[in-house]
Amino acid sequence: MNRNSPVAITGIGCLSAAGMSLKENMTFLFSGKRHASPPERFTSSHPLHYPVFEILKDSFPGNNPEYKDILRTCRLGLAAANEALQDAGLVPEGITGLKVGVCIGTTVGSTMTDEEFYRNFRSGLRPDMRMIERFLRSNPASVIAREFAFKGPSQTVVNACSSGTDAIGIGTSWIRSGMCDIVIAGGADELCRVTYNGFISLMITDDSPCRPFDRDRKGLNLGEGAAILILESDRVLRNREKPARAFVLGYGSACDGYHLTAPSPEGKGLRNALTDALLESGKTAGDIAFINAHGTATKDNDRTEAMVLREILPGVPFFSTKGYTGHTLGAAGAIEAAFTVACLESGMIPANAGFSEPDPELGVSPVKDITGISGKVALSDSLAFGGYNAALVLGLERG
Amino acid sequence: MNMRIYINGIGVVGGFGSGVKALLTCLEKGAAPLKGHDTGYGPAFLADTAPLDAFVQKRSLRRIDHFSQMAILGAYLALQDAGMHSLNGKGTGLVVCSGYGASHTTFSFLDSIINDGDACASPTLFSNSVQNSAAGHISILLELAGPCLTVSQFEMSVPSALLSACLWLNENRVDQVLFGAVDEYSDVLYYCLQRFFGKNVNGIITPLSTDMQSAIPGEGSAFFLLSNERTDSSKYGSIIDVQTGRLDDKGISSSEGSIFILGADGHKNCDRLYGDFIPPGAEAACYSPIYGSLPIGPAFDLVIAAISMREGKVFASPESVTDQEKYKIVRETSRVTPKSIRCVKLAKEDEFGIITLAYG
Repeated sequence: MNRNSPVAITGIGCLSAAGMSLKENMTFLFSGKRHASPPERFTSSHPLHYPVFEILKDSFPGNNPEYKDILRTCRLGLAAANEALQDAGLVPEGITGLKVGVCIGTTVGSTMTDEEFYRNFRSGLRPDMRMIERFLRSNPASVIAREFAFKGPSQTVVNACSSGTDAIGIGTSWIRSGMCDIVIAGGADELCRVTYNGFISLMITDDSPCRPFDRDRKGLNLGEGAAILILESDRVLRNREKPARAFVLGYGSACDGYHLTAPSPEGKGLRNALTDALLESGKTAGDIAFINAHGTATKDNDRTEAMVLREILPGVPFFSTKGYTGHTLGAAGAIEAAFTVACLESGMIPANAGFSEPDPELGVSPVKDITGISGKVALSDSLAFGGYNAALVLGLERG
Repeated sequence: MNMRIYINGIGVVGGFGSGVKALLTCLEKGAAPLKGHDTGYGPAFLADTAPLDAFVQKRSLRRIDHFSQMAILGAYLALQDAGMHSLNGKGTGLVVCSGYGASHTTFSFLDSIINDGDACASPTLFSNSVQNSAAGHISILLELAGPCLTVSQFEMSVPSALLSACLWLNENRVDQVLFGAVDEYSDVLYYCLQRFFGKNVNGIITPLSTDMQSAIPGEGSAFFLLSNERTDSSKYGSIIDVQTGRLDDKGISSSEGSIFILGADGHKNCDRLYGDFIPPGAEAACYSPIYGSLPIGPAFDLVIAAISMREGKVFASPESVTDQEKYKIVRETSRVTPKSIRCVKLAKEDEFGIITLAYG
């Protein structure tokens, strides 16, 4: 198996608080606007109202009564998968004879956290089991496989905040190994009261719109969304005579082995992940046009990430899009991979929303304005709880 | 996908005890299915993590929950079994899977919100409730620096995650993979089981019965040190194939000289699927009455298959396993050398996982 073979991306779907399709997201990112506000789908007794990036539109494919028996995370994933398949020119019925796998990253979509059920259980009442049935029907990878009758392997990656990046990296391996002809890869996550309370309890949430890499950053804002990339083997692509939109050139993953919720101060795992991704892609720092950074706006994340980017990819422009989408957890890596491809296609990158004051401790700053880029290769990286780190090298051309 | 992945060490923890020897003792006793521990809701196969004291200082474990402790114990036992004290940090990949994750801790986190209010949610419980917490703790304790993956695919968690572990080895991303599976008991899960299916009145699992629900919750972990290079400790045979997905009408092919280990665990709606898909006349064993009903059951089946390879014998199924007309249940422990052992897990909506182990 050749670990260095580029894998074609033929379709992309994406939705977040910044837009209901990839095109809408990109228009929004380049408009410089952002909408963070207190959650509307759930209430909280916190004295402070921590803003979130919530998808407020209800009209998206997969969000109709037919799908009421699955979690919102899965409905978001289905919407992104529909857009991606359409973008790839694939009709599900037309590819049932092929080996189609599904690899999806999530956090909320894999955790049984129904508060209403649990409150009733604790109270000795007889809770409604439909909530549990819905959870059991909502494994994100299985939902997508079931919806489109795909028979290949399904895998729900739960690597916390790097899940989406890892799912695309793993899907790439499935294509390279010949195990799959097509892989539906990406991530999906919904906003959830339990997660909202969890992040606030860790004191890494900002009570105002987040400011990635800014001197005065105070933490992250949660978001929700999904993104799906259609990965295809060369054999299928040749038969379809379909041009690729882009290629996955490299993937790297490494753990810190340091702390459950804080990155290694030396950035050990991120450094290894970036180095491995570059090595696999056959690219060097000089080939990278830009970096779509993880940039959560927490003190620790941005400090570690900036230090490693400065060292491994000196002078390469970088930005975080979490100021537009919030931190979408298991979906983040996939959404950012989708944005990375779209930015390469458009030849420009958006301003790092929320950034205004350089942090002298970081020694580097993200782009403040919309910036033109000329290269054809870019990098997207993720850091996660558990000390996980992952990176993707994406390019418009094979070589 | 062509592969030959060697199992160089196994660590296993469950209601039967901890370590390969404890499980082997149960298998050699033969016929008797285990009775579970009493939980107040009913019997369950619960795991004791006390043996972890031999590997990790108590102080280091004080903020680590039972779910992660089971995984850590499994990981250390696998290393011990392989005759190793530490691992090559960057050259070792870590793949962990779980059906439901740290469910007890997740509900404890909800307790902190319900009891004390949103503003008093417990950060320690939240960070331990995250699905990849067990892998995070293992990577910290073993000082790992390679790629890390946690998978949650309900009943197919084990074959799905193992697929990625084997791919990492095949593409030389790492030299070895510490692969493991872990699931824990929780009262809430037991309550759900009983609401869906009623109480198990017999107190034992009677798998492959088409008309009687008999699942009894289990918990535990099973870890494997995998490599594509044969070493002196490669005594458990090798994984030569992993498949998962949705079955088509053709079912599961037969292979002469192979035996099946079926992942049936007393859930009658799933157990009856084996009758539809296992080839007629095949020889099959089933061991869930020893370890319980839990999504990562296939990991215990893989341990038993590996022990069979090492011991050169196929173990009798516990007597509570229901006889089948279409295929033959292994009833006596015998010294045989099957060409391969195929661990099969079937679930609703035609989901399947098959892990094939061979000698050598």
